[in-house]
Amino acid sequence: MSSSRFPIPQGTLDMLILQILSLEPAHGYGIGQRLEQISKSVVQINQGSLYPALHRLEQKGWLKAAWRQSETGREAKFYSLTRSGQKQLHVEKASWARLTGAVQLIFDEGAAQ
Amino acid sequence: MKRMLNWFRRRKLESDLDRELQYHIDRRVNDLLHSGLLEPEARRRAALELGGATQIREEVRDIWLTRWLRDFVYDLRFSARSLLRSPSFTATAVLSLALGIGATTAIYSLVDQVVLRELPVAHPERLVLIDWKGEQLAETPLGSDNLMSYPICRDLQQQKRFFDGVFCRAATTINLSTGGDPKPTAAELVSGTYFSILGVSAAPGRLLTIDDDQTPGSSPVVVLSYDFWKNQLGSAPDIVGRKVLVNRYPMTVVGVAAPTFHGIDVGEIPSLWVPAVMSAQAIPGFNTMLDHRTRWVQILGQLRPDVSLAQVRAGLQPWFKSMLKEETRRTEFPKVDPGMLRRFLASTLEVTPAPQGHSVLRHSLSRPLWVLFGATAVLLALACLNVAGLFLARGSARQREVSTRLALGASRGRIGRQLLADSVLLAFTGGLLGVVMAPVAVRALIAFLPRDTAANGLQANVDTRMLLFAFLVSLAAGFLAGCVPALQAGRKSLESSLRERGGTPSGGLSLRRGIVTAQIAFTLILMVAAGLFIQTLHGLLAKGPGFETSSLISFGIQPALNGYSGAEETQLIRRISEGIRNSGSTQASAIASVQLLLGGAWSNSLTIQSGERFTTDHEVQMNAVTPGFFETLGTRIVAGRDFNEHDSLDVAVVNQSLPVSKNGQRVVIVNEAFVKRYFGGRSPLGARVAMGSAPDAKPDTEIIGVVQNISYRNVREQWEQAYFPIGTELSGSNFYVRFRGTPESAFRSIRAILRSADPTLPITYFRTLDEQIGRSLNTERMLSALSSSFGTLALLLSLVGLYGVMSFVVTQRRREIGIRLALGATRLSTIWLVLRDALAMIAAGTAIALPCVWALGRLVESQLYDVKPTDPVTILAATLVLCSTALGAALIPARRASAVNPTDALRFE
Repeated sequence: MSSSRFPIPQGTLDMLILQILSLEPAHGYGIGQRLEQISKSVVQINQGSLYPALHRLEQKGWLKAAWRQSETGREAKFYSLTRSGQKQLHVEKASWARLTGAVQLIFDEGAAQ
Repeated sequence: MKRMLNWFRRRKLESDLDRELQYHIDRRVNDLLHSGLLEPEARRRAALELGGATQIREEVRDIWLTRWLRDFVYDLRFSARSLLRSPSFTATAVLSLALGIGATTAIYSLVDQVVLRELPVAHPERLVLIDWKGEQLAETPLGSDNLMSYPICRDLQQQKRFFDGVFCRAATTINLSTGGDPKPTAAELVSGTYFSILGVSAAPGRLLTIDDDQTPGSSPVVVLSYDFWKNQLGSAPDIVGRKVLVNRYPMTVVGVAAPTFHGIDVGEIPSLWVPAVMSAQAIPGFNTMLDHRTRWVQILGQLRPDVSLAQVRAGLQPWFKSMLKEETRRTEFPKVDPGMLRRFLASTLEVTPAPQGHSVLRHSLSRPLWVLFGATAVLLALACLNVAGLFLARGSARQREVSTRLALGASRGRIGRQLLADSVLLAFTGGLLGVVMAPVAVRALIAFLPRDTAANGLQANVDTRMLLFAFLVSLAAGFLAGCVPALQAGRKSLESSLRERGGTPSGGLSLRRGIVTAQIAFTLILMVAAGLFIQTLHGLLAKGPGFETSSLISFGIQPALNGYSGAEETQLIRRISEGIRNSGSTQASAIASVQLLLGGAWSNSLTIQSGERFTTDHEVQMNAVTPGFFETLGTRIVAGRDFNEHDSLDVAVVNQSLPVSKNGQRVVIVNEAFVKRYFGGRSPLGARVAMGSAPDAKPDTEIIGVVQNISYRNVREQWEQAYFPIGTELSGSNFYVRFRGTPESAFRSIRAILRSADPTLPITYFRTLDEQIGRSLNTERMLSALSSSFGTLALLLSLVGLYGVMSFVVTQRRREIGIRLALGATRLSTIWLVLRDALAMIAAGTAIALPCVWALGRLVESQLYDVKPTDPVTILAATLVLCSTALGAALIPARRASAVNPTDALRFE
């Protein structure tokens, strides 16, 4: 584990999971892998917290799960986004954009002086 | 909710999670193997990265069930197991809670149905009752409350600023024939706006509309109730368009109301609705529907959503005041004295919320029901306290278990929650049993109600509101019973309780003493209440109606409802009374125009001329009777004479003008109360009276006799009364028959006489006067029966509680008692030692209860008769019974204490 990898920021795991699943349904292991791939191994996720997060999102009704054959031929639990999950993703993306925008503004302000 | 469901599929969830995690590890191991790691290392890395499967499982379980729910479910399971291990404790606790919860739920069910429940109509919260407050100067042909005239309803319908709609209604009984013999049937006369405002839909056909409510007599249509259609007509599919006879008058059925709609009065469920414009056909002899001075309907309105009650009250007054002024200018406005006129003009319009509709039953029953509800609440509290006491006793036995758990690291909150789970589980089991018992209890209660149960919609069904109430009450009972022991569990220091020796647990003794004291206080309150209500009932029964009720029958007929015209009706009634008089089983018989002991009366004020002229300061109760009425009832005429055949009159008795007899003389008989109030005991014979208080009333009716007081509206009341001779034109009659032999044979012969006079004429009622008294005292009977059974139950509960505590004390002080006895104490002094303890509790309980009795007394005062709520005899008797039985209960353990063998006691440990 190189020190150049960040632990995932608090509270963003849910949003990232939703984002990954908005592309296509996936099982827990696949989600973890894809998170690492897409973020070019910069983001490091704690695999231990992945499953509680998935079950929490399922409990909230944002994800639904089904057992299906995976690419290795074994049955795996595939998660996919529900309609309210999609809505939630939009909400979270929007608020994330507002947050980062605000942070950027503050940085720009500092640079201008 | 979803989480609750998760509980039931937790096995599936667990195995799914296991599979999911296994899949993850296998894949990871596989990948790591591919990257060149050896299998054991790969497995180690995979498990490490995942961070412990057990921890993940725990975390996920918390998500499924939330922490506290999971813990609570485990607690409940543990409780169930430990409760099943001590079945006698569990049975006692569950039974006492079931009694408490069952009784409370049963009374609540009635309170809910009679007082609380909103009508199943559109926007019940916007319904208001509009009533006249003040002197209405109107006649009241149909007895009821909150009555108004029909024209006011039409005026109010124009007040569109405040109301989305206004309707009026009047309950009445008609003779309905749907093909066979006519039967008396409950009907509601309604304005055309009634159904549309209430948002009722039609099952088949249509409902009444404004078009059905235009000109008097123009709309011979009716709407049937769903129940009537179903039960009496077998849900006939061709019902719409069918002809029925309402009092022999043909009307067409245009539809059936929706099954959920039962009118707006829980005490009187109509079987059909008739347009108000058909009132002359529905109420024979009534033809003043459009008269401003005849009040016969209740008016209800639906407020506009944006209008507040205060706005309506204020907003309607200007219109109302100007209407009052206009009324006085009408030609038919009665001539009254200036005081009366002032009171008329000072009248206001009262607007009150009526989400439950209008009900006379509610008016008479809500107070007694609330009193009973309070009593059951006390009973339930007692049961809870008993269970709390049992818990404390059990808790002291479990002291070591609890201490051990504390020592092993359980938090005090956790232990307390465990005890709460115990009591909540018990309470819900009790609640379940209670709900099973409640409908039986409700059925028994409904039998006590003062009206015919057929006509009121009270039901003994379990419904969601009742279940919800039972659930909440159980929950509250569980917490109440459990919180005391739970708090107790958290209080004691750990070391001290572990250090205690097994034989001397002292858990919560002072608390248990407190509980017993509270129980004794509650019980005394209930017993005093029971004593008061029993005395009330006995007082009323002993007083009686003022006449001999045994071997007296009354029955009623209303020939006008069967299409008889005035002359035919008179003939029929004459024929029937002749038949009865000549029957062998009859001793005496007479007719009265108003039925006795039914709650209603014909009343009006009288102007009296005896030396000076004055008006009665309140209304006098009146009746019109045939000669021989007083003899039939067995009341004595104390002065003057009875009516005779010559007094019988040429015209029917109507309210405003008094009848003239054949020889041109008008006569009246008054009762002793009347003489006492208005003549100060002097002889009234020869004085003259006039009906009403108008200045132009002519006192030309001579008082010819004085009779003893008898009950009129109910047994309780003693009022001034005036009797007039019944007119030669007889209508709607109540017969009173003094019979020989058994009531059954008298019933049979009277029925035969009626059948031979007219086989199709329905009898409106037929009962012995004993029955009638029973009915009129139903509320009192209910209060005394229930309060005394509650009192007995409460006494039993507190005796058990006291006995439990005293037994506990004796066991605990065994050593001490042994030492005392060894040192030479007598057996008697030992008994006293224990009894003193009990006496302290009894005295404290009594001391708490007495001020409460005094304070609560005024709440029940209106229900009492001839006894003050602070009646010393009742209170003393209740206290004596309670103290003596309580001492008896304490004596058993006390005797056991005195029987302690000193050597055994000392060797015991």
